[in-house]
This record gives sequence, C-alpha cells and structure tokens, in this order.
Amino acid sequence: MSDLLPIIPLFGDDIPWLAGRRAQGRESFCLPTAKTEAWKYTKLHTLQRDDFVYAPSKFLQEFEGECEEEHCSCCGEHHSDCTCGDHCQCSHKPNLYIDLPFDAYQIHFNNGKFMPLYPALSLGVEVMTLMQAVVEGQAKNYIGKYIDLQKHPFAALNSAMLEEGLFINIDNNIKLSKPLVFIYHSNISQPLVSNICNVFVAGKNSSLEIVEYYYHSGNEKDFYFNNIVNEFYLAQQAEIKHYKFQNESFKSAHIALNYVRAREGAFYKSFCLQKGADLARNETKIELMQENAGAQVDSAYIMNGWATIDTTTDIDHLSPKTTSNQLIKGVVGDEARGVFQGKISIAKDAQETEGYQMHKALLLSDTAEIDAKPELEIFADNVKCSHGSASGELDQDQLFYMRSRGIGENEAKQILIDAYLLEVINHIDNEQIKEWMRSHV
Amino acid sequence: MLLKIEDLCAKAGDKEIIKNFNLTVNEGEVHAIMGPNGAGKSTLSYVLTGKPGYEVTSGHIWFKGKDLLKMSVEERAREGLFLIMQYPVEIPGVPVTSFLKHAVNANRQYHGEPELDTMEFIKLLREEAKKLGIDPEMLKRPVNVGFSGGEKKRLEALQMTVLKPSLAILDEADSGLDIDAVKVVSKGVNELMNENRALLIITHYQKLLTYIQPHFVHIFADGHIVKSGDKSLSEEIEQNGYSAYTREKL
Repeated sequence: MSDLLPIIPLFGDDIPWLAGRRAQGRESFCLPTAKTEAWKYTKLHTLQRDDFVYAPSKFLQEFEGECEEEHCSCCGEHHSDCTCGDHCQCSHKPNLYIDLPFDAYQIHFNNGKFMPLYPALSLGVEVMTLMQAVVEGQAKNYIGKYIDLQKHPFAALNSAMLEEGLFINIDNNIKLSKPLVFIYHSNISQPLVSNICNVFVAGKNSSLEIVEYYYHSGNEKDFYFNNIVNEFYLAQQAEIKHYKFQNESFKSAHIALNYVRAREGAFYKSFCLQKGADLARNETKIELMQENAGAQVDSAYIMNGWATIDTTTDIDHLSPKTTSNQLIKGVVGDEARGVFQGKISIAKDAQETEGYQMHKALLLSDTAEIDAKPELEIFADNVKCSHGSASGELDQDQLFYMRSRGIGENEAKQILIDAYLLEVINHIDNEQIKEWMRSHV
Repeated sequence: MLLKIEDLCAKAGDKEIIKNFNLTVNEGEVHAIMGPNGAGKSTLSYVLTGKPGYEVTSGHIWFKGKDLLKMSVEERAREGLFLIMQYPVEIPGVPVTSFLKHAVNANRQYHGEPELDTMEFIKLLREEAKKLGIDPEMLKRPVNVGFSGGEKKRLEALQMTVLKPSLAILDEADSGLDIDAVKVVSKGVNELMNENRALLIITHYQKLLTYIQPHFVHIFADGHIVKSGDKSLSEEIEQNGYSAYTREKL
C-alpha cells in the first residue's frame, strides 16, 4: 500500500464539507513505519503489496442509471436485470440471514458492501446509509469531526474513501429491546480494501446493544482488508453496549478504530474477541467529556500461526468523577504476536476520577511474543488509578493434574485456556451473547 | 498381577532417587510403603503416574501386563491408575462438575463406551457425592479453589469413586498429616476396594494405617524396599522409628 491513494469518484464529491474531509484524509494518510510510535510493535508487512483493489462507488453507478458490473453485486452471479445498488431487485439475492444463538436485528455487509435489507426497528430508532445522512444533513456534525487523522492513519484512509457505512440514530429515552447485529461477511479472493464508517448517535437516556460479527467463508488463505471506523456519540445518561467478534480469514487484515464521545452520566461498555486475521488491530479511543461519564473496555484475543493481534486503548478523562475500567486477556501460540497498548489520560480538572487497566496474556510456545505498553498520564491530584501487565505460561501442575484424571493433553490445555479467558468473558452482561462468545474461544 | 515394578531406577531432575526398586501388587491387595521424610516416596508416585520432570533411567513397570512407561499420563489414568494427591491442584475458572465430566467422558471414550450427556453425568455425580457427604454446592465451585484440606480430600475421593480405578495410589508422604482429611479419603478408598482393585499407600506415619488395613507393609529407604512384612512391621516402625533401616540417622 502506498501513501498515494488512488482517486476514486465517490458520491457527494460535490458537497464541499464532505469533499473536504476526504481530501483531509487523503493528505493525512501515511502508512506507519517501524518508527511510528503508535505502531512500533505492530508490523504492517501484510499491507506491503501494491495490488490493492478498491470497489467503485455503488451510489454513482446507480445514479447514472447504468450497471457496469457483469455480475450482481449481491449474489455475484450474472443476470440480465441486475440493477445493483440500494434497490436491487435481484432474485439471486443471497440469503445472508444467519442463525445466531440470540434474538437480534440483523444488518448485513457482504465483502464490504452494505446489503440494503433493513431490519424492522421500533419507533425512535433510525438506520440509514451514511450517504443518506449526508444528504439529509445529519452527518455533517459527526463523521470524522473529532478524530485526529494525523494520529490515526487508517482513519485517514477511511476518510479519504468515505462512502460506505451506516448512520444510526436513537432518540431520547428509547431503549432498543434487541441487539443490533452488524454481520460482516467476506468471501472474496481479491485484495479488496473495504472502508466502512458507521456513526451511532444515542440520545439522552437511550440504550442500545450493538454486536459486530466479522466472518469469512471460502478459502482460508483469502486476503482482503477491512478498515473500519465506528463513531459513538452518547448524550446525557445514554448507554451503549458494544460487542465485537472478529473472526476474519487467516490471511486477511482488519483494522478498526472505535471512537467514543460520552456526555454527562453516559456509559460505554465494550467487549471485543479477536481471533482471526493475519494482522488485526482493535483500537478504542474514548473521550469522557462530562461528569460521571464512564467506560468499560474489555477484550480477549486468541491466536496462533504468525498472526499479529493488537489491542490499543486510549481513554481521556476530561471531567471530574469519570470512570474507566479495562481488562484485556490474551492467549498467544506458535509464532504469533500479541500487542497491547493502553493509555489512560486524566486532565487537570478531572478530580475524583477512577481509571483502572489490566492486561494479562498466556504464552503457549517459546516463540510466541507479547508486547505491552501500559501508560498513565495524570494531571489531576485526587484520582484513583492503576495499571498492570503480566504474561505467563500454562500451569504445568494444573495440566498434569487434569491429565492424571484421563483428560487428554490438548483437551486439558483447551479447558485451561477457556477458563483463563472466562474471567473477561464473564464481564458480558447479556447471557446469550456471553455464551456465544464463550463457544468461540 | 496388576502391577509389577522391576529394578526401577529413576531421577528427579539430576538426582537419582529410586534405586533398583522392586514391587509386585496383585488384585485385592493393599500395600503400604513407609519411609522417612525425604526418602523419595512421592517420587515413586510421580514416576508411576508419569509426571514430567521425573526420568526413569532403567527398569520396567508392568501394569495389567502392559508397559506402563510407554504410556502417556492420560493413558495410564485411562488404564486405571489413580493418584490421590497429597496437595491437589487448584484450577480457577473450571467448575468441579465440568472438570469431572471431561475426565469421565475421556475415560469412557478410551474404553469405547458412549459419552454421558450432562444430565446423566450430573445424576451420577450427585449420587456419588451424596455417599461421601459432599454438598452439591461444592460441585459448582472451581476445582479446589478456596477448598479446606478436608474438602480437597473429599474431592479426591469423589474423583476416585467416579473414575473407579484398578489401582489407587494414596500419597500422604509428608509428615504433616491432616487426620480429618485422611478419614474422608480412607472411607472412600475402603468402599471402593474389592477383589479386582488394589491400593498402594505411601506414608510416613503408621497412624494412616489404622484407617486402612494393609496386607503388606514395605519399608522404603535409600531408594528401594529394605524390608517387607505384614501390618506388624508398621507397628515396629511406630515404636522404633526408621533409624534401623537408614544409613543416616534421622
């Protein structure tokens, strides 16, 4: 991937502010090197190739009234009446609905493209494409407005290609009864870069559960790159629970930035399980803007082969009485590398703030590696803060004890790994989602 | 013949602990191996169960006519060897029920028997637990985590009664004997014993043998058995100590 991005005509290039954000993204994008502090442990050799493919704008095709694709963008099959885009009437529309062990509203992306099948949501919850939100004027005050693109190169890439993604608005006092599940399916063998940006705006005293599920079918060696930005805006007393299961193909790349901006008394709670991809990073940047805003950011990662999985958090306590809690647990085998970077910053005025962070990792082989960089930056004097990082191996006495009861060595290891990660999985409030995550460890 | 140990020599780390050890155990027999602290009694139990870190340098061990030393730790267990550990290991995050279900089903699978489903297993486990006076709440707790000495031994006894081994090894090698805990284990062991099973007790004190009656008592010193006899031998030890059998004074 070169620093010079290809120019792809996108919907809304004639809208000055949108064109401006894209231009800013294009100018800010620069592939991190070994010298880039925020990326020094996470090597990007997976992205060192020059055959990346970017999908053309689906909106422009539709508006020009022509379908240049020989194959339907939904099902991939050729048929004569393909109209593609948002209003595809395709009879070959793939059945994207998947069975999940919990009741949910499903939203589907296929190879980076939103499939226009809208769930029947209750009153007060609105789901529209990001570009529709641009046209209707809601998006301007949010998309990328608060993200420092100089510090987040892949958010810059995402901004440069900004078009795909959804805008979700939940009105004041509305509590969505079922989780909203974003299902990202990939089965592409081309080195496709998918830039997706979703914006979640939660009104005062609203509550929403979101699940992101990234999965792959087809050849395990398929390479593709999902570059995701999620922005969460929480008004006073709003609550968002965000669960993510990243299970991309073994050769793929997955980089995500979750930006959270929380007002008074709002709470953002997340759990992320990362298991797939050759290169993966889940980064969470939280700004606790007003008093009593809080966040809990939990993660688990489990990996082998030569993969690199990175968990990065950066939490800014900007007001008094804000709280944050983080527990990150990983299991690393073979020649894989687990990276944890966690930063808690407490502003001068943010008195009576509490910030806790703990990272623990289990190394299953001599060649597995963990790089951890916990950081605290405190400018207030009346705060409670702690952080720590520890790594170790499977307990040989426990293994022997289990084997001496007839449990096979591999099964015993799996039981211990399961138990190790359970501590963090148990933080999930939703019992069905907890069981679902647990079944994938 | 259930177990035959022939001219066994074994090391723990670099140190030679077991030297030309011989022992034969038949079905229906209870053997007690007694010896001074530090004589390597626990090493014997670990060599039998195959604990990593213990290396057999020469000799043979035959278990049910098979070469025990060629088997992995789990194969030995599935063939019917069970070690009642002196210090059972804590396993945070793994409930007793789930742990034992894995163990029982691994054993059943090995013997070509159908695996038990959760309901069947819980029924079986509760019945056995009741016999040993185990509170069903204990079965939900993580293995040995926060258990008292007595509770740990109860769990060992429960595992044994559920797995029904052919040869149980009761390791109480250290001098620090918890009598209450031993009573619990003895009850389990005595109930399990029959003409098809055997028991090997490894201990320092004669006291343990008031709860489990051995048919044979062996004095273990300097890496091997220096004298064998019946129960009266343990009484002699109780009175005179081990000094007559060791080169070094205690």
